[in-house]
Parts: sequence; C-alpha cells; structure tokens
Amino acid sequence: MSRSVIQEKVAKLLSRQNGKPVLRPIKPLALKNEVASRRLKKGEATCVTEMSLLLACWKQNDFNNSVCSKEVSVFYRCVEKAQNMAKGKQGTQGRLLPKEANTLLKRFPNLSSEI
Amino acid sequence: MAASVRHLLKPWTPSLCFARWSRYNPYYLDPDPSKDAPDSELSPEQKELQELKTVRPIKAALSSDTSSTFNDPLISKFINMMMQDGNKILARGIMTQTLETIKRKQVEIYHRSPAAKRLEIECNPYTIFQKALENCKPIIGLASVQKGGKSYQVPVPLTDNRRRFLAMKWLITECRDNKHRRTHMYEKLSQELLAAFANEGNVVKRKHDLHKMAEANRAYAHYRWW
Repeated sequence: MSRSVIQEKVAKLLSRQNGKPVLRPIKPLALKNEVASRRLKKGEATCVTEMSLLLACWKQNDFNNSVCSKEVSVFYRCVEKAQNMAKGKQGTQGRLLPKEANTLLKRFPNLSSEI
Repeated sequence: MAASVRHLLKPWTPSLCFARWSRYNPYYLDPDPSKDAPDSELSPEQKELQELKTVRPIKAALSSDTSSTFNDPLISKFINMMMQDGNKILARGIMTQTLETIKRKQVEIYHRSPAAKRLEIECNPYTIFQKALENCKPIIGLASVQKGGKSYQVPVPLTDNRRRFLAMKWLITECRDNKHRRTHMYEKLSQELLAAFANEGNVVKRKHDLHKMAEANRAYAHYRWW
C-alpha cells in the first residue's frame, strides 16, 4: 500500500511537467544489497596505569618477576577484563553490525532485475 | 529487531563429515580426549559448557590427541613447533630424549647432593618443562604503531597464546642457532630448559631485554588505541 505512495512521490520529483525536475539521478533509485562498513570509534589504550606501575616496579627491582608478582597479577586481571569488555561490547546496543547485515542481505537480496 | 534477525546468522553445518581441517566455524567446540570424569566439582560455567558439548557440533580430534595420561597439550604444541617438513617422528623422538636427559641430569644431582638439599631438587621433567616455559614467557610485548609518519615501538599487553608461542619459539631458535654445531638437539634443549628453570640462560635474557625495551618506551604507551 505504502509502496505506490512512494512511487507517486518519486514520479512527481522526476517529472518535467511542473518546471525543472527536482531530482536528476545518474544511478537508478534503488537500495543496494549491502551496507557501508562504518569506521569504529577510536578507543583509548587500556590498562595503561597498571602497565606503568608494573614497569616502575621492574625498574626498581631490576626486572625481578618474583618480587613484582602482585603487580603482574593485577596487570593480568586488568588485561582479561579489557578483553572481555571488548568482546562483549561489539555486537550489542540493539543494532546489527555492518558485517552481519551484509551477510543477511547477500542471502536475502532485494531483486532489482528479473531473473 | 536485530535480536530476532540475528538467529538467521547461525552457522551452516555440513551434512558430510570430512577429515579434520584447520579452519572451522567458531560455532564448533574443541574435542576433549579425556576418558575419566573430572576430579573436582564443576563450577556453574563449566557445567554449562558440559551441557553445551552434548548439543553443539565438535571438531574432529587430531591423531596426536590421545586419552592416555601421558598426553600433555603443552608438550604436543612444543613438538609441533619443533617439527620440520612434517617429520613428527623425529620431533617426538627429540622431545622424549630431551625429557630423559633432563631426568638423568637431575637424578644425578639428586644422588650427589647431601640429604638436606635433596628435597629441593626437582626430578620430574614435565614440571621442569612447564616451569622453564613459564620463566621464558614475556609479560609485555612491543607492537609497531605508525603515528605522524614515524613508526614507534609501543609496549602492549600480550595474549596467553602469543606469550606461550614466543617462549617456545625463542627456546627453539636459541637451541638451533646459538649452540655448538656438534651437540645433539636434545642435549642443547635440556641445557637450555634447565637454565631457564633456574632463571638463567639466553632465553630468559632475551625476555629481560624485551621487558627493558618496553620499559624504555613506556612514554609511547598512549599511542595504542585498543
């Protein structure tokens, strides 16, 4: 039902009957079967404070790992947490990722021409 | 909408079963070759994993994964890394000879030492191998990051797999390149492993050099974005 309404509007925008046409398309007005892959937001470096503490401990104790074992374990825990966060955050927030959308569109494309 | 549509993205599983290849869909689970039931009580996450194993498809097991007590995944990985041109028999032979040499050396030290010091001497070659590898693993690595036309060496945390790989790689290259030409590989490996067990030797030195470089470049730590 709404499809014919849209087609009428497009026809009106393209027609030369009421003066110059509003749209002068070079490519056909149809959606592509893929989504543009968005650039991810640039994140910050994770666990920099723990790393700096570890490096300071090393400098004081001549890179002895047994003495700095507490800093080492804290650093490992922070790294694991950061990894889990990075993995979990990617696919959430209600939207499909561009990669997933492209896979689906490839399997169920909009047919633009008759086969 | 996204949640309901996402179920269409479940992976495709083939109806035929092929021989094991190395790239599987992440949906497949790793095979578990152990025959016996686990010793301790399983945590709820592990129980969930066990439930999942009854339902999900599982990758084909490698022919080197056995259900015997002598099957150690760490040793298997080390053998695979030592192997050249697919000669697994030679690599396994070298590994067993290495473990035997380590045991012999430690037993000799054990019998030569006075009774007071005997408790401290570790004779189990498997624990020596694991401890030595732990001592060789780096904690922070360096990654090359390009910023403003120049590339900097940035200190970066490493994953467990990467650390294990680096430790094993350093051990093997050290034994292949920097030792006397006429000694056997198992001899060179046993010397290097015993040195690493005591936190000495060239591999541990290399690990310390990497840590020192990371410490020197600590100002560039903020150039990372991941």
